[in-house]
Amino acid sequence: MAAEPTTRELRELVAEYEFERGHLLPALIEIQERYGYVSPAAIEVLARQMRTTPALVYGAVSFYADFRTEPPPEREIAWCSGPACRLRGGDRIREALQHTLGLPLDSQSEDGAYGLRLGQCNGTCSEAPQVWVDGEVVGDLTVAGAVAIARDVKGDA
Amino acid sequence: MNDRFTAIAAEAREGWEASRASGREQVNVCLDTSSLARGGAETLAALQEAVAAKGLNVDIQTTGSWGFCWLEPTVSVRSAAGTRTVLYHSVTPDRVEEFVQATLVEAGEFPELALGVVEGAPSDAIGALEDHPFMRGQIRRLMANCGQIDPENIDHYLANGGYEGFVESLDMEPEAIIELMLESGLGGRGGAGFPAGRKWDFLRNATAEPRYLVCNADEGDPGAWVNRILMEGDPHLIIEGMLIAAMATNSIEGYIYIRHEYPLAIERMNVAVEQARERGLLGEDVLGSGKAFDLVVFVGAGSYVCGEETGLINSIDGYRGMPRIRPPFPAQAGLWNLPTNVNNVETYANAPLVLRHGAEWWSGVSDDEAKGTKMFTISGAVNQPGCVEIPFGLSVRDLLEKYGGGTPGGAPLKGYQPGGPLSGVLSAEEADLPLTLAPFRDRGLFLGSGGIVFFDETTSVVDLCTYFLGFAEDESCGRCTTCFQGTQRAVEILRRIGNGGGRDSDLDKFEDLIQTMTWSNCLHGSFAMTTVKLALRYFRDEFETLIREKRDPTRSLPGMITYEITSPGDPALAEAAAICPTEAIVDAGSRFEIVDELCIRCGACAEVAPNAVTVRDRFV
Repeated sequence: MAAEPTTRELRELVAEYEFERGHLLPALIEIQERYGYVSPAAIEVLARQMRTTPALVYGAVSFYADFRTEPPPEREIAWCSGPACRLRGGDRIREALQHTLGLPLDSQSEDGAYGLRLGQCNGTCSEAPQVWVDGEVVGDLTVAGAVAIARDVKGDA
Repeated sequence: MNDRFTAIAAEAREGWEASRASGREQVNVCLDTSSLARGGAETLAALQEAVAAKGLNVDIQTTGSWGFCWLEPTVSVRSAAGTRTVLYHSVTPDRVEEFVQATLVEAGEFPELALGVVEGAPSDAIGALEDHPFMRGQIRRLMANCGQIDPENIDHYLANGGYEGFVESLDMEPEAIIELMLESGLGGRGGAGFPAGRKWDFLRNATAEPRYLVCNADEGDPGAWVNRILMEGDPHLIIEGMLIAAMATNSIEGYIYIRHEYPLAIERMNVAVEQARERGLLGEDVLGSGKAFDLVVFVGAGSYVCGEETGLINSIDGYRGMPRIRPPFPAQAGLWNLPTNVNNVETYANAPLVLRHGAEWWSGVSDDEAKGTKMFTISGAVNQPGCVEIPFGLSVRDLLEKYGGGTPGGAPLKGYQPGGPLSGVLSAEEADLPLTLAPFRDRGLFLGSGGIVFFDETTSVVDLCTYFLGFAEDESCGRCTTCFQGTQRAVEILRRIGNGGGRDSDLDKFEDLIQTMTWSNCLHGSFAMTTVKLALRYFRDEFETLIREKRDPTRSLPGMITYEITSPGDPALAEAAAICPTEAIVDAGSRFEIVDELCIRCGACAEVAPNAVTVRDRFV
């Protein structure tokens, strides 16, 4: 992951994007792919490139669940919020994850070491209940298993 | 017939035939998102390694899904002579060694993991795949290529009749294409079932230029993954469908809007678009016809209402994905306020079949009022979460029993959700309904995009309502007070009921909200209360028991139960105390106790010490 992006880097990154061609979301996605999040500076630069206001750009950033406004944590558990998981104890898993990590959904520890995120169903429902640990599916999960994963991610084994 | 197309199709067919007559075994590994979640990539690597280590001369390629999602990774092996193909399931990395030994080194078969014979004669040990209980009765038209071709190779698609429907349409007048679509009776597959031909005709008759097509691949309904199966298994079918729609409507550009949760589908659609461009099937001058059409794969960023067509249009335009107020409809003012047609993935994917085989063949698949086949995914309280393609009209119960493999442990079915969080819930007494549009419409809901979620007696209906209303609240765009405040209010009341604070007046409040929220601008708000409305119709007793007796018959709502240690000397309790995330289990000298104020009802202790921890009613 790159460090805090500079204004010059950001300008170069979004130089080809045009608002009139539907490029706001693709530009935001590219920024996030490069830096892991969309910084306030990126919002300013993109607004200028798109010849629109930072408010409009921030409006999109805050509307879509996928955009982050701070650097992502080093390790992350994404909890699957889908119905098949819910029917198999997914909500008890959420409760246990939140308490073990000491975090609500969509937040991270102050030092950025670990985080917890709400994940959307992608149709791997044969694995329910599942979470993604650093992007990898862990399925057929028990609550006890989730607690163990959360302790590992948190660093207290 | 278009000469350029004849040439590229002939070349593709030649390549395909040559590869099938190579004299080498062909191993096809299913790699879709479900297979990846079950170790498909590791299986592929292990197969490649084993084949290399043994010095075998074998072709290994990847395909999309057959729909056996609960049995991934699936792998098929075609004999060197090309006379026999067998499909296997659960080929996990640890089984690869013996699998390779049996099927490739000894050139035999591996009956233990066989699903069936795809090509060639069935034997005593391995029956025909089409006779497998999961395949019997399925009619694979949209999914004809899924599992059988490499989705990242356009030649495979071309060699199997691909783009022939489009080439047919290239020489037709737009009116004639639309006439054919109307004759077929193809209805929109996103849930509403509006005739695709009529929608296309609106765009054809639009006055402004240029015109756009949008393919809604946002598939936001949790529990639905039919579009993912198609995009990951046969992406060119969707491109071909959009090309046909472009010919019918004189559109110049199309957008395929895919949710970011589907990275593999995004990748495969991008590869497919690029390959179609290389072959001249997309671009300034499609197949030398003088007509222009190109496609953009557009990636969403996490928003359920972007599945609503005008929300999706706003999203591409670069705004928050808030549904617009209609009219004007997209056919008059869509993308950049220019005429636009939005269809679901599966709707477009049917068009090539209609063009290739004719309207009569296409609609003749069943007598049902809704024409054609439909893909469904089955999940929840089922033994076999998977994807099927069947004609409309099969009963919900048959879907569950035949294809879903019944409920785990044969538990009594309590109900099901026919298609997405806005589609409501029905009880088991309605499980004999045929899977088609009318009966659901008559009951005030709709058969959605194809994700059917079953639930059994262990599930609390109030929990389901809290879940679906919570989802609707989270995903409300915020435009209409009726929606964003209504969903919030509904969740508050449901939570209160679920925590033992229900009041008799709550049921009237729900009736109020049901009425009020129908005034929302889009379907999100006006259908958000469907789950509660139907839950009150079918499961009113459960609400009343919760409110009046303060008792949850399912003993699953966290607010209605307590955990109690009933065998304090059980040695497993030390482990239970260690796993408890809130340290609510304390060692009081000779015995363990649960401190109720600390307990979050997650049930981890009951998992590790099932004989020592008992769930009790909290208020009774």
